[in-house]
Order: sequence, then C-alpha cells, then structure tokens
Amino acid sequence: MTRFVESTITFPYKRSLGPVTGAFMTALADKRILGVRSGSGVLVPPMEWDPVSGAELAAELVEVGPAGTVEAWTWVPEPTEAHPLDRPFAFAFIRLDGASVPLLHAVDTGSPAAVRAGMRVAPRWRGRRVGHITDIACFVPGEDAQVDGPDAGAPGQPVELMDYTAAVTYSTPVPEMADRAVAATRERRLVGLRCPTCERVYVGGDRPYCPVDALELGPDAEVDLPTTGTLTNFIVVEPVRYPGQTETEPFARVFVLLDDTEVVLTYQPVIDLPVHDIHVGVRVTAVWAPADAPVDTFSGIGRPMGSLLGWTPSGEPDAHDPDLVNRIY
Amino acid sequence: MIPCAVVGVGQTHHKSRRRDVSFGGLVREAVFRALDDARMTMADIDAVVLGKAPDLFEGVMKPELYLSDALGAVGKPMFRVHTAGSVGGTTGLVAASHVRAGKHRTVLAVAFEKQSEGNAQFALGSGRGASLGAGGSFAPFVRAYIHRSGAPEHIGWTVAVKDRLNALKNPYAHLRIEDISIEKVRDSPMMWDPIRYLESCPSSDGACAVVITDEEGARAAAADNRPPAWILGMSSRSEAGGFPGRDPVRPRACLQCADDVYQEAGITNPREQIDVAELYVPFSWHEPIWLEAHALADEGEGWQLVDKGDTEIGGRLPINPSGGVLSTNPIGASGLLRFAEAANQVRGGAGEHQVDGAKVALGMAYGAQSQYFSMWIVANSLQPFH
Repeated sequence: MTRFVESTITFPYKRSLGPVTGAFMTALADKRILGVRSGSGVLVPPMEWDPVSGAELAAELVEVGPAGTVEAWTWVPEPTEAHPLDRPFAFAFIRLDGASVPLLHAVDTGSPAAVRAGMRVAPRWRGRRVGHITDIACFVPGEDAQVDGPDAGAPGQPVELMDYTAAVTYSTPVPEMADRAVAATRERRLVGLRCPTCERVYVGGDRPYCPVDALELGPDAEVDLPTTGTLTNFIVVEPVRYPGQTETEPFARVFVLLDDTEVVLTYQPVIDLPVHDIHVGVRVTAVWAPADAPVDTFSGIGRPMGSLLGWTPSGEPDAHDPDLVNRIY
Repeated sequence: MIPCAVVGVGQTHHKSRRRDVSFGGLVREAVFRALDDARMTMADIDAVVLGKAPDLFEGVMKPELYLSDALGAVGKPMFRVHTAGSVGGTTGLVAASHVRAGKHRTVLAVAFEKQSEGNAQFALGSGRGASLGAGGSFAPFVRAYIHRSGAPEHIGWTVAVKDRLNALKNPYAHLRIEDISIEKVRDSPMMWDPIRYLESCPSSDGACAVVITDEEGARAAAADNRPPAWILGMSSRSEAGGFPGRDPVRPRACLQCADDVYQEAGITNPREQIDVAELYVPFSWHEPIWLEAHALADEGEGWQLVDKGDTEIGGRLPINPSGGVLSTNPIGASGLLRFAEAANQVRGGAGEHQVDGAKVALGMAYGAQSQYFSMWIVANSLQPFH
C-alpha cells in the first residue's frame, strides 16, 4: 500500500485588470454593470478584444441590467467554501437587459423548484463593495436590485488590481524505498540504492531508480553508506521575503562527499557551522535527531531526511583536493 | 524538410511591473508588434504556440486556454510548451517545427511572464520556505567554474557591466543603469556567494512574439525588402537534474545540443562562422561558462574572451548585444527573446544594438538545474557559408 503525504500551498497572487476589466470592476463598486459594444452586440463582462477574431475592441462601454433573464441553470446542493453562497443555490446564465451574451452568476432561490429558465432576476449587492465580481452577492428573483445591509458606497478609487489567493492541496506518493531510507536513519544508518549496471549510488529513495540506466532500484539494491564526509561545495542564501518564507537570516546548504565513496549528498542542512566559516574541504559528520524525537517522514530538497538532521564539522583538518569543488553531484 | 524563417518579431517594453495591462493586454502588445513587422494580421496565422514558466509563477492554470482568444487562436491549433527557463526557446522550436514539417504554413510563437503578479522565489521553492532561488541553485556551479578555470573575479563584474551598457542601446530593455561601472557591481551586495546583486538578472513583466513562415512566405518578405531570418538549425536536449558524476558546468545535454545545432546548420567552425550570439545568461558568470559549453572558447578559456572585450558589441564575437537576461527577465519570454534578438541581428533590424554585418547568429536558452537546452541558428540566407 503506497503511503501518501498531503500538502497545501497557498499564494496571494495579484491580477492587473487592464483598462476594460478594470472599468468593469470599478463600476461594480458603484452598483453598475458594464458591457462593451462588439459589432451589433454587447458583451458582458466587457472584453478588450473580440473573443472570436481576437480583433481589438474600441472599449465603448455601456451600462446593462441590472435585471436580466435566466437562460440556463444548474443547482449546487452542497456548496463548498469556494462557492459564492454558503447555502444551496443555482449557478445560472443570466442575460442582463441590454446584453447579447449571458453572465454566469449565482441565483439564490432557496430551492431548485423555484428556479426556471425565463425567470427574471436582479442583483443583490453587498453593502461593502471593493470592485470585485463578488460585489454582487448573488441574483434574486424579481426586477429590483437590492443591497445587503447598509450601503457603504463605492470606494471612490479606480480598481486596477485584484487580489487572487490561490491554494492547491495535493497528495504525493511516498515510495517504499523512501520510507526504508527514513527508517534506517532512526537507527543512525545511512542507506543508498546502488544501480547494478553503472554502480552509481542514490540516496533518499524518493526517486527509486537510476536516471542514467532507467532501472528501478528496490530493496536488493540497498547498501550501507558512511556517515562522515567532506564538504565539496555550498550555497549561502540571503533570504528574500515571500509568503511562506521561513527564513530571515542568511542560511546555507552544503554538498557532502561521503568518505571512500563517489556519493555526494546534495543540498544538505549544516549545523553549528556559521555561514561565513563555510568553505570547501571541511570534514563533516552526520547529526542525528534524538531517538525519541518525532521526525518529518517526508523529505525534500534542503530538508532533513528523517533523523538525519544535517552535517556538522568533525574537527579533523580540512581535506585538500582541487577536484572537490566540482563534486556537486 | 521545408525551409522556414522568422519574418516578424515583437516584444513589449519590459518593466518590474506592467500594472497597466492584463495578461491578455501584455501578450497582445508583443503579438501586434510581431504581426505588424511581418505585415500580417491574426487571420494569417495558422497555429499558435505559447510558452511561459510553470503555473506557480502567476497561479494561472492552463494559460494557453485562458489566452486563446487574446491570441486570436480560436478555432486554430493551440499548443503550450513546458521546459522551465528554456521554455521561450523551445516555444520557438515547436512553432518552427510545425512549419518545417509542412503541417502549418505560418505559426505564431508567443512567450510571456508577469512576474509581478506572483513571486519567483516562492515558485522556485515549490511553495515552501527556504527557497534557494535561481541564484542559490547556480552559485555552486559558478564556484566550481571559477575554481577550475582560475578566472579572476572581475570577469563576473565585466559581463554585468557589458550587458547593462548594451541594454542602454535597447529601447525595450528593463534595466537602464546609466552609471553602471565595475565598481558599482563589485560593491553591490553579495546575494548567493559568489554571485553579487548586480551580477544577477532582474524580475520582469514582459512578452515576446515571433512569426515563422515557410520558404514561399519568407521569399515574399525578402522581395518586399523585409529580410527574413532563415532558421538553419534547431535543437533541444535535456538531462536528469542530478546523478553522480553529472557536471553542471559543462552539462552533456548542452554540449550535445550545440553539436547538433551546428551540424544541422552546416557549421564546422563556430568561432569563425557565428557572428553574434544571444545566450541565456541570468547570472554574469554564465557567459564564460556557456562560451565554453558551446565550443565558442576552449575549456577553461571562456573568461579570457570576456577579459579581452571580444564579447562586446564591436568585439570578435558579441554576446547579448540586446543586454540579455541580465537586463531583462520575463522568465518565460527570456528564451524567446534570445531567439528573436538573434533573428533581428541577421535581419539587420536590431537598431542601435545591431552588430555590423551579422549574417549568422545563435540563440540559446536553458532551464532548471542547467538541464534543459534549446538553440537555433539563424542566418540572412539559406546558404551563408557558400
């Protein structure tokens, strides 16, 4: 049974709206809905270009609606957090009065029995509007637009930029060989997978194959490796700020050539070695987590591998070999 | 194989933030410049190929679908290319391949990035903390190059100054550092030892577009006094990001890709037969590194070309007369910009950064852990060596 690790990454992206979508959003904050003339028709939401030919449109914006007619709909019985309403509702194509194409939005009717193609609907505006499509909370049956609660008015600034926070949750399969590699670190052992063809050794087990010979490497390829080595090369990063950044001070990752092997461990954390003292040739030894400490069973570039937290100077004199610095892989 | 050529090139004015345009507005700015250059409209385009960095950079999934109407691709074949930082170059190759194969007559290659709407360090770190960034990834390679070649440290500063001076001749370039100097680069902060701030590329919003057509179309353009850039050779190669014994300073994929593109173009002596190259140099030390990996200098001697001024405009082998990635880096577009600038050089259309008499040019892009490579050779005629 393959084990999976679930991860979520989130980022607050920005969206430059451009002259046409920007005008549309600015008008929404003012409880007006704009379309753009395209030939004899009016497109809503307005676009910068003709959606069929790609030709530039003249940006002749016209007000439409606010009421319109439902052309087609589907019921959403179990809304998620990402949906516009927290109760069951209809997603509908609504052709606003004066528009030649329908707008997709939510219609709040309480039950699917109350929705039908041809019904008239009007927007229910949010009281506090920012210039976003959700300034229309939803559409409701009838001819008259409504406002939720007290009307805070339009912000008064043109809307040029939109926040767009994206999140993705995904599952990563953890190969059995990666779990075995992590389990070995619990016993303070470092294991690798030796390709029977080229004899290259790969550490970590997260990619249990030889990329040179395209061979899958299983338990019979496992070999024990030394836990001392020499620092061959390194990275010192001056961290920049970004959402999700965990570092505030310069930090390092090092490359370690294991003794009496051709195995280089890449992007390793370094412990008790200040960044300004890092240099090629430092002799290092593995640092292990205490036996009873919980460990992250999912490693990644630059992260501890199970109980192997990183590498620290052994105190031996530096190794001097001009080829060391080339051993990045 | 059907001969093909570049007959239209367009790019945006590149900046840190192009907040004045949407994604669609940004790519269309480059596309209409390329179409105008080719004396064409969207109706003349048979297929569109789009390249950009992975989706985490701006958080747009399937931008090729999102932008199909903006690119006039409705009802036409539309392709997306993914090869990390080399993607812009590969986008040009995919577009040209369709013409060469006779499948489509005229193909539009478009590449863009709007870095300001996301964060490159976040995206390069797969959305986690402690991202190494591109500079962190390449710093060990640069350290290894410096050690093995014995290059003095001013080589990195020299490239940084040269490319920023070139950028002052390019009206589209992002960075315009009027007072750039060796001292200014030398005294800039150390970002990823041994790479300094001013030895690094900027983060840009921008787009590039190229129109590629068949022999008949290219000859028609030539007859109309609009010289085409004939695509004599194209190649791309990749290799695994890391395996014991891999040499990221001279990646085998790069050596093979260069051999292949030279062979296809009929180049037997690249140092003599190539007049100008636009190489993907996001950090200044990549100029000598790539000179050597493209057989434009002997191993360990690329830095001497830099030191002698050979790679300046007016030198024996000008590299990145446009200012290069060091001056303009809308990641997805950066590779196509190299290919497009190479094409403009042999068309005689590079403006103030034109290399006199350029007949044959190399455009090159690379990506990820120096593991994807894309190259093309363009020339002012189908047989420039006869």
